[in-house]
Amino acid sequence: MIRSSGHDRALLLGYLVAVVTATLVHRPILLAAGVMVVLLSAGRPAPSLLWRSVRATLPFVLAVTLGYVLVARDDLPSAGRVLLVLNLRILLLTLLAFRILPGIDLQRALAFSPTLRFVLILTTSQVLTFRRLFSDFRQALACRSPHRVGLLTALRHGASTSAWFLRRAEHDASEITQALDARGFFLDRD
Amino acid sequence: MHIPDGFIAPQVYGPAYGATGLLWAIGLRRLRRALDPAAVPRLAVATAAAFALMMVTVPMPGGTTVHVLGVGMVAVLFGVWNAFLALSLVYLMQALMFGNGGVTALPINALAMGLLGSLSAVGIYRLLKPLQHTVALFCAGWTGTVVPAIVLAVILGAQPHLAQAADGTPLFFPFGWKVTLPAVIVPHLLVGIADGVLVVMAWRVLGRKEST
Repeated sequence: MIRSSGHDRALLLGYLVAVVTATLVHRPILLAAGVMVVLLSAGRPAPSLLWRSVRATLPFVLAVTLGYVLVARDDLPSAGRVLLVLNLRILLLTLLAFRILPGIDLQRALAFSPTLRFVLILTTSQVLTFRRLFSDFRQALACRSPHRVGLLTALRHGASTSAWFLRRAEHDASEITQALDARGFFLDRD
Repeated sequence: MHIPDGFIAPQVYGPAYGATGLLWAIGLRRLRRALDPAAVPRLAVATAAAFALMMVTVPMPGGTTVHVLGVGMVAVLFGVWNAFLALSLVYLMQALMFGNGGVTALPINALAMGLLGSLSAVGIYRLLKPLQHTVALFCAGWTGTVVPAIVLAVILGAQPHLAQAADGTPLFFPFGWKVTLPAVIVPHLLVGIADGVLVVMAWRVLGRKEST
């Protein structure tokens, strides 16, 4: 079934409204209810969704929580309430992101701006290629290094990789432009 | 350095969206009006390159690694407006497609790293370039990391003062400037060195390969 861009736009708008609402609510019971609603709406994958969300936010949340407990140790009940609201809000926002965003086709959702959509499509294709290539480079360095990679080698590798990506970006920009030009893309836009 | 969702108060991200939205509109209009047909593809690949640069990691003392920001490199190579739009797109994609960063923090990240980071990097590069090119490149990379860190530390530290409950407890990020300024800036002074070294080395690799 082919979805319309309106469906994706409505989903994106709904997500943005939910995010803003979550930042306007400061009562723990309402934030906890929001968490429950998102988890219930997920159905069977709810436990894995919860685990992914906790895992994604744990390092940052743990650092802030432990730090605030240390700072506000003279008034722990008050600190507990602050941390409950903060952590519930972060959990709700992360759950919302993992629950809603994978279902949105961003290129369709941003179809209202042809330039933005065009840039996004080009960028996405380039980013996916670059991500794969970056992983290849990293694995190549690891498998060719019998010992742990040192600082100088890592810097040289980082610099060469960066330079390669920048050169590839320049090359791809001119190649894409020529391909679009040859297909009359720029004439259509006039 | 990205701020995740849930730490920034609506009193901050609301006006930030207003200011960034205006700048995005100006940037897109400049892009549409560009006579150079390669302007849009160049922005797209600059975005992808910025995304790739952020994956580059450098070992730090203590056995940890940090990923470079690449703000200085992108700004020096592609210019302030292209860098601002490209980095904004990176943060948008990271927030909406890869689950990094956040929607409420997007305009803050875009303004701090995309605009102020790029502006300061290009400014320092142009200032120092006539004196010593390598030093100018290094300082561009360092400044492109440290200036956004200062801006983000100030914004994060302002949250408990801007959004409080009736009893005075913070509603969003709970630490003030006494914590955020050293905690965010000091590590980025080191990350900035890695960024600066990387800009210089990448420039040399690019230059050497191009001249052969």
